[in-house]
Amino acid sequence: MSESNLLSELIDALRRLPGIGPRSAQRIAFYLLERDRDSGRRLAAIMAAAMDRIGRCNTCRTLTEASLCSICANPKRDQSLLCVVEHPADIVAIEQATDFSGGYFVLGGRLSPLDGIGPAELELGRLQGRLAAGGVRELILAISPTIEGSATSHYIAEMAAAQQVPVTRIAHGVPLGGELEYVDGGTLAHAFSGRQPV
Amino acid sequence: MPTALQPGFVLHRRPYSDSSLLLEIFTAEHGRLVLIARGVKGAKRTGAAQAALLQPFQPLWLSWSGRGEVKTLTRAEAAGRALALTDTRLYCGLYVNELLMRLWPRQEGSEPLFLAYQMILAALGREVVPEQSLRQFELSLLTAMGYELVLDRVVDGGIAVQPEEHYLLIPGQGLRRALAPGASSVSGETLHRLAQNAPLLEPRHRREAKRLLRQALAPHLGSKPLRSRELFRKPDN
Ligand SMILES: [Zn+2]
Repeated sequence: MSESNLLSELIDALRRLPGIGPRSAQRIAFYLLERDRDSGRRLAAIMAAAMDRIGRCNTCRTLTEASLCSICANPKRDQSLLCVVEHPADIVAIEQATDFSGGYFVLGGRLSPLDGIGPAELELGRLQGRLAAGGVRELILAISPTIEGSATSHYIAEMAAAQQVPVTRIAHGVPLGGELEYVDGGTLAHAFSGRQPV
Repeated sequence: MPTALQPGFVLHRRPYSDSSLLLEIFTAEHGRLVLIARGVKGAKRTGAAQAALLQPFQPLWLSWSGRGEVKTLTRAEAAGRALALTDTRLYCGLYVNELLMRLWPRQEGSEPLFLAYQMILAALGREVVPEQSLRQFELSLLTAMGYELVLDRVVDGGIAVQPEEHYLLIPGQGLRRALAPGASSVSGETLHRLAQNAPLLEPRHRREAKRLLRQALAPHLGSKPLRSRELFRKPDN
């Protein structure tokens, strides 16, 4: 190929984005260069600013450009209800779908010893510190029910129990509108053992 | 041509591209293998059901194709109910999987080791911390690796282990009689129990057996500690 270096570097950089394959990367690069350089320049400037200026909230570890995110800074939020999630995207999902008005704590992943992610890598000491500081009356675990997620939930639940903080876990089970016949065995077993009086 | 369906387990899985999973699996005939499960992530119902199935501790029937080191999963079916490991059992399960990932080579089948793996999973389904079964699994792993731990005789002279005596493990060699019980010695009684797969009734039996197996595994693990052991440690307050 006789492409210039910059062009192939741009395509290569785009290709690293999730969901973008080599063909899409090429299409985006050509589109921006041929038809919309303004959008390209704007994207580059915002991208650079975002990468430099967006950090982690001091309290909940979500992504924010301030030292305290908008949820932690909001006095109307009840920080005695603390919801633990894996990623900032989970906060967005919960905020959109529920009327939860407590605070959050973002782990940034799950405990996965086989990937070399232990309690230290997840900075669980920070969560420990927040529980030890007192004032949390319910710790809500909203962590994926995978093997690593369950191990993470259990580890945090033990940590909270040592501080006498009550722990709850979001329910796992049959998706709304789902038909039992098509639900996998593990989910069905979970839903069955977690049945509730009606 | 895909292989015939084989019994196996997922030891570990990682996302691979947007829609696929990279699976470390363990089978009787082919040992540890890396498989790619394509198109199992994402919103599609069939894919999601496959992804839910391809979890550790779920007995599976698996077939795959490909010649390279990384093969492609062609079919996966449940071979029984998933073991719903909770609490500390889950840590034990992760520990066992990490041991296999670290110490058992790829593409080396071992029927006895696969059987030992099924036994420890069954034990985890029954007890919270099945010490006796964990130690038997560790012994089976050492044996399969070609480093069988001789529990009933000492190294030099081959004198039989006596219940009332105490012994030390000399790495790479075997047991030697200790002059007196010490911090790293193991009693002949515990050794007998381990050799006969008898219950480790007393706390001292469990403590000694655990330490002995840890010493025996240490040279094979080298300087990189097992990460799953961190989970058992209580977080500092
Ligand atoms: Zn915050």
